[in-house]
Amino acid sequence: MSFISIRNVFFSYDEVEEGKVVQNAVDGVSLDIESGEFVAVIGHNGCGKSTLAKHLNAMLLPDSGSVMIDGDDTSVEEKTFDIREKVGLVLQNPDNQLVAGIVEEDVAFGPENLGVEPAEIRRRVDKALKAVDMYEYRGHAPHKLSGGQKQRVAIAGILAIQPQCIVLDEPTAMLDPSGREEVISTLLKLNRERKLTVVLITHFMDEAVLADRVVVMDGGKILTQGTPQEVFSQVELLKAHRLDVPQSADLAYRLRGCGLKIDKIPLTQEECVAMLEEAMR
Amino acid sequence: MSCVLELKNISFVYGKGTPFEKRAVDNVSFKINKGEFIGVMGHTGSGKSTLMQMLNGLIRPSEGQVLLDGKDIWAEPKKIRSVRFKVGMVFQYPEYQLFEETVYKDIAFGPQNKGLEGDELDKAVREAADFTGLKPALLEKSPFDLSGGEKRRAAIAGVIAMDPEILVLDEPTAGLDPMGREVLLSQITRYHSERRNTVLLVSHTMEDIARVADRIIVMNKGKLAMLEPTAEVFRRGDELARYGLKVPQITKIMSELRKKGIDVPEGVLTVDDAFRALLPLLKKGGKLW
Repeated sequence: MSFISIRNVFFSYDEVEEGKVVQNAVDGVSLDIESGEFVAVIGHNGCGKSTLAKHLNAMLLPDSGSVMIDGDDTSVEEKTFDIREKVGLVLQNPDNQLVAGIVEEDVAFGPENLGVEPAEIRRRVDKALKAVDMYEYRGHAPHKLSGGQKQRVAIAGILAIQPQCIVLDEPTAMLDPSGREEVISTLLKLNRERKLTVVLITHFMDEAVLADRVVVMDGGKILTQGTPQEVFSQVELLKAHRLDVPQSADLAYRLRGCGLKIDKIPLTQEECVAMLEEAMR
Repeated sequence: MSCVLELKNISFVYGKGTPFEKRAVDNVSFKINKGEFIGVMGHTGSGKSTLMQMLNGLIRPSEGQVLLDGKDIWAEPKKIRSVRFKVGMVFQYPEYQLFEETVYKDIAFGPQNKGLEGDELDKAVREAADFTGLKPALLEKSPFDLSGGEKRRAAIAGVIAMDPEILVLDEPTAGLDPMGREVLLSQITRYHSERRNTVLLVSHTMEDIARVADRIIVMNKGKLAMLEPTAEVFRRGDELARYGLKVPQITKIMSELRKKGIDVPEGVLTVDDAFRALLPLLKKGGKLW
């Protein structure tokens, strides 16, 4: 069985009233995520991606259908804490999720709550801060850090709980370009080197391109999914749903429409330059 | 063209006389004309937010002068409040600043403090709501019942309703999806073209600034690195990258091609422009239909 197994999940924020049509935020989603995968979820505001994310650590429970994390059903109350130790959630605004006055105390908050031995907490905090490259800042006040640094501290706070999976809901939305790069390269490193499962919800296509798999959501449903190559080659479909594609893919798609022979839609700057250079020859 | 805002040798030092002393803004001078649309760029810590806060007297420059319509805004510190009606400031994530019972009252708060009442006030509120695309039905709702995008619009409407001579927007599109960004930007451009007021737009998204700004201010390490017409700024892509700014992917692709000796124009900012530039080249090579 997959590490995360979502089966036919429906969820609505509406209260059920007689004669009122209930709008589902998540509208019949099934999705499997394997251990060690890096999955990006894209889709515009209100498409249900954040709601789905909150199902992954039992913050929300499905109205119908099931979410299984490492074989445990999220709707079984006794399993809630086990599940939250396995799946950590990082949200958009770093200022809303840092609780302590000193970086290392903030990172220690999670394991402290789990009743971990003090010596072990020390070890975990140091390790987590080193993993996100914030160890030097362990004695600093979080509010004086940059956005990218704060977000990395938030990630360290999750790592200290030693989860198998980290779910991030638009973690870079409030950051500047260099802050975004810091956070994304940290995630890639954690995924590649520690086999941490990453579910990244984002509006930025250049981030989605780096994932193993991209899931596109629209109107509470999964519109399409596949490798970045497979997904972003469907320029027409994405545009019809008013979603962005990387600029390189957009350009290639339009040139192809004019008759240029393109085998593989380029997703990165390098691929696109190589493709155009070839075409100009 | 008349100059509406002039900065003369402005500096700002945080924590003066302490070990944490930091010169956030360092000897910045420039002039902005009435009705201009100015983009402001700079990486985190470049001093752009500090600079913006000096434009309406939220903080007082350590050195130098801010001249609004030719008058030093700090000439009479007791009257600094009046400057805040002339220079309207929309901060990042303004939706966290909503506080009133209804959207209408929230938008009316600024103009009311400015002294508007009755029909005049009503007109200001409704026009501002219209500019930001808020449906009249939403005005009687609690701001806390709105969606994220609607809250953002309501907060921006609250500043627009004061009809400021200069409107400063700090990252108004942060956190919105591509479509929401598009819509909000076009509403700001419409506001600008109808009211002919001066707008300063701070953004990390170069594609956005490229589309709307007449001129661009680039800040780097507290100093004014550039103040040039938009096309000129983006022609200097390598320099922008040195200032820690990210050039659109398409701009990089085109400049790489240029470096490889392919004759494409400099400073291409949109996929449209790139497409138009490449089409004749590919046609000549017989690669197209």
